[in-house]
Parts: sequence; structure tokens; C-alpha cells
Amino acid sequence: MPERPARSFPGRPVADRLSLSMRASHLLVVLLVVAGLALAALGSALGDTFYLRLATEALIYAGLALSVDILLGYTGLLSLGQALYFGIGAYVSALTLMAVPSFWLALLAASGATLVAALIGGVIANRVRGVYFALITFGLAQVVAKVVYNTRELGASDGMIGVPVVEVPLGPFHVSTGSAPGFLLVALALLVLLYAVSAYLLDTPFGRVLIALKANERRVAFLGYSTWRARMAAYVLAALVAGLSGALYPMLRGFVSPELLYFQVSGNAVITVVVGGVGTLVGPIYGAILLTVLKSVIGSWTEHQLIVIGVLFMASVLFLPQGLIGLLRPRLARWLGRAEPPPAKAAEAEARP
Amino acid sequence: MADLVSYLQFVLAPQVVNGLALGMAVVLVALGLTIIFGLLDVINMSHGEFYAVGAFIALALGWLGLSFWLLLFLVPLLMIPFGVLTERLLIRRVYDGPDRHVTTLLLTFGLSLIIEELLSIVFGPNTQRPATPLRGAVELAGVYMPVYRLFLIGIGVVVILAVAWIVYRTRLGAMVRAAAYDRDMAGSLGVPVSLVYSGTFAFGLMLAGLAGVLLAPIYSVFPTMGRDFILIAFTVVIVGGMGSIWGAVVAGLALTQVQALAALVISPVWTDPIVFGVMVLCLMFRPQGLFGRLGHA
Repeated sequence: MPERPARSFPGRPVADRLSLSMRASHLLVVLLVVAGLALAALGSALGDTFYLRLATEALIYAGLALSVDILLGYTGLLSLGQALYFGIGAYVSALTLMAVPSFWLALLAASGATLVAALIGGVIANRVRGVYFALITFGLAQVVAKVVYNTRELGASDGMIGVPVVEVPLGPFHVSTGSAPGFLLVALALLVLLYAVSAYLLDTPFGRVLIALKANERRVAFLGYSTWRARMAAYVLAALVAGLSGALYPMLRGFVSPELLYFQVSGNAVITVVVGGVGTLVGPIYGAILLTVLKSVIGSWTEHQLIVIGVLFMASVLFLPQGLIGLLRPRLARWLGRAEPPPAKAAEAEARP
Repeated sequence: MADLVSYLQFVLAPQVVNGLALGMAVVLVALGLTIIFGLLDVINMSHGEFYAVGAFIALALGWLGLSFWLLLFLVPLLMIPFGVLTERLLIRRVYDGPDRHVTTLLLTFGLSLIIEELLSIVFGPNTQRPATPLRGAVELAGVYMPVYRLFLIGIGVVVILAVAWIVYRTRLGAMVRAAAYDRDMAGSLGVPVSLVYSGTFAFGLMLAGLAGVLLAPIYSVFPTMGRDFILIAFTVVIVGGMGSIWGAVVAGLALTQVQALAALVISPVWTDPIVFGVMVLCLMFRPQGLFGRLGHA
């Protein structure tokens, strides 16, 4: 009997603990899609736009948080300036839409610009680790925000208003960015796509190198992997996720402003990731939804919502290092693991003649 | 020739003096930050907010009629409980955990949000400006300089010398440096490490509070005032070398002069990118900073 290839071959991951957790995350994303479809149906039946637009905004910020999680959860690098790529995506998308009202062209231009920016930013930021990485990303975003704030061609402090409503051609269908339920679904689809691509890439050997980097960078280098290249790839991937999420922002709100690049946006994304669950990919998405709900609920009582969010955030750092999803996902993973034999037994079964 | 002289006298010189006053302000904020960073290895994201706390305490006590000169001593003392509590209740909890750099950074970031909101609940979001304790201006070589700015420069020099004396010339400072160099060894030689950590954190906040009192009459008081200083203060800490007192002084004064001259020669818009450029170059070519780490040099 010819020997079977090892099951850890790329594309056929062993059902070990990591893949089981990933599968639990996938399940939670499916849940999100179902909830999103239900919300869109309910909203369009009731003729609501406010809550649908709020949900869309939550999904857009979920993309930004996802991008922070790719860096923090997989490489252990905390970015305090991920709003930089979010803002670049938003501004380029707005500029493109005002010149040529084409949805796909806007996304393409936004990702192209983000890619270039991420290559430059990555070369600078990846020279350092730890707190220095956090500070340098913080500084990068701060500086670009200042430049945008002072550039008259980009609307300076006012930003740019009047981004037109465009049609989103999806094969045989057409959705307008002006239609609240339609655009919610577009944002949901993009988010799920970004999640799926990130989850796929991070579950490949490349992703395992990143996880190893977080655990012990020196050893990874000794094992013959280029740590710089892996970190750079993660950085660019994260930036693209942020940029593409940002590209949807002007389509939703019809304007862009320098505030999109400010530390508040980056900081919010970090809070979202920590509250939702670092390194889970799905945690930031649920975190963004939770924070949006919290903000609008608390916001109806008091304007000082940040105090509640700050306390929640600090409590998560102190008592729930895995975030809210960390409470849920291990249980889900265990339940999924019961469905098939544990990896040790599977390997044993294979080893038998 | 006469043009050049009057340019130097009336344009450049005031800008340099203003830059020097701002530089002292930045050094005061950065000193606390760098000491905390150097010893505890903690990036205190809430440092700017504690600076704001100092300014607000001074404002409130000023309303009660306390004099500015008393506040100069009182406010730093009032910052001690904040420092000890923050270190004992928050930072110590995560200090020995994994990723403590990131965790302590996140924790102090959360704290900064809460402090900012609390300040705006208690004092309202509006800008307030305490009266300048020293009014008037003096003429120096034909140029009028506000007395308070000159006073700020003078007191900055005094504070810097005092801090350097404490850190480098006293037994207390030796304990701090020993703990920064090797915590366990210092502990086994009888340094009360736990106390040194709380004390150092509190000392950092005392300096932030003092900066708050001193700068309130110039830069006004508002809940988000801490944000304005934080990028430049971090840059100073990185360029100067984390934990290095002289590094913070040299980098603080040099960078604010660069800022002041860039604002004059190029445009105020470009001061931040230039400062940041210096930080990037420093991280690329001399990541340990100009003067190296506290306790290591």
C-alpha cells in the first residue's frame, strides 16, 4: 500500500486545536450572515433606514477591527494607527467616486493606494517591535492625518462632501449604495470575504509562521523562515483589510473627513478587538457590533459613553484576555472536536496498516 | 546687513525663546514618561491625561483661593495617591503576564479614556484659562518677552537639575537605577523593589502634575489637553533613549527648537511630520536613543 502524504500538507490541515478554533470562528460568521440577512429583510419590511445604516457602519468598523486583529492576534504587534489605512481607503474611494462613479473602480483604487501606502509604512514600522511598533504606527497615522487636515485639495479640516450614490453591479443584480438594506448586504458580503481570505491565509503554513513569530521570533529565524517577510505580509494584509473597509465608508455616509484618520478611530478599533477577542478574527466583528449597540443605547442616556466603554475595555484587559468570544469559542471548538476523532487517534488510525 | 540683524533680533530670537519655553514644557512632560518607561518598561498612555489632572486640580484649588505658588508644591503631592493606586491596582496586576508591554499599554490607554471623560463630566468640556500669575513683559535687547515664559524656562532648569540630582546622585536614585538594571538582583540586595516601582510611577505622575500647573496659564485647561503633548513627548522619549534624563532634556529642547524653526522657515503645517521624521530616523539608525537606557549607561 503506497504511503499516504502527511495530512499536514498545505490545504489539508490537520484538525488540531487551532483549526478547530478556526472552524468555531467560521460557524460564528455563518451565524452573523444569517443575522445580517434577517436584519436586512426585517429592515426593508419595516421601511427603516437608520438602524440599517447603523448596522452597516458597525460592519465597516468591524473590518477595521479585523485588520487590527490580524496584526495583534497573529503577529503580536499592536498597531495604534490602523486608521491610517482605513482613512486612505476612504479618501481614495471618495475621490474616485467623485471622478468616476464606479463601485468596483473605487474599491480597486482604494486597495491599490492602500497597498502602496502599506509597503512604505511597513518598511518603516517593521524595523521595530513591541512598544516601538505601537508608537511608530501611532506617529505615522498622526502625521498623515495632520497632512490631510492641512491639504486644501482634500478639503482640509472640512473633508469632502457630496460623494455620489452609485450602483453596485453584482453580476445579474444591481444594488444601489443609497438603498439601506442593499448596502448592508454589500458591506456584509465584503466583510465576510475579507474574513474568509484572512482566515484562509492565516490557516496556511504562512499563518503558522506568524503564530510562531509571536511565540518566539528568534527560533523562527533559526528554523529558516524569513521573519521580516512574514511580518511584512501580515502588515500588508492587515492594511488591505482596513483600506477596503474604509472604501465603503464614503458610500455609506456620503462624505469623508480627517477624523477618519485620527487616533480615536485607531483606538476604537483596538478596544473593539480586545473586547471582542484577540486572535479570533470573529471576535473583532462581534466586538464592533456590541460596541455600536452599546454606544447607541448608552448614548441615548448620556453623552459620556466613553466611560462605560473604557471600563469595559479595561475589565477585558484585566479579566478576559481572550475577550468575549474567548468565553464562547473554546466551548464551540470542543463541541466541534467531538464530531470527529481527536488528532492523536486519527494519526494512530492512519498509521495502522 | 541691518535687515539680517533685525530679522535675528525680532523674528528669530523671540521664536527661539518661545521654543525654549515650549521645550521646557515638553521636557517636563517627557521626564515623567521616560522615568516610568525606563524603570517599569511601561508606556504610560495616560501620562497626558495625568498632566491634565494636574492642571485641573490647580484650576479647582485656584478657585478656592489658593495661591499659584502654593499649588506649585501642593499639586505634585496630590498626584502621589493617583500614581500609587494606578501602579498597585492596575499595572502590577498584568506586569508579570505575557505580552506585558502591550497589556500595560492597553491598560493605560483605557485609563486615559476614563480620566478624560471624568474630567469632562466634572469640569465640563469647555476651555478654561487660569490667570497668569506673573503678568507683564520685560525688554531684552529690544524685544519684549512675557515674564511668565522666562519664569517657565527658569523653573524648568531647576526641576531638571533636581530630577537629575535625585536620579543620579542620591541613594534613592541609585535604588531606582539598580531596579531598572536588574530587578531580582536589586531585590536580593535589599532594595524594596515593590516600593521603588510604586514610588517611581508616582514620581513620574508628580512631574506630569507639575507640568500641568505650570502650563495651564499658557496653554489653557480642557479635558483633552493631554493629547496635544503626547506625540512629541513619546518622540522625545524615543530619541533621547528610554529612561535617560539627559536624553529627554536634550531631545526635548532640540526637537522643540526644530519645531519652532521649521514653523518659521517652512510652515507650521510641517512641524509634526518633521518631528516624526526625526523619530523614524532615530528608530532606524539608533533604536536605543541618543543616551541609552536608564541604569545601563
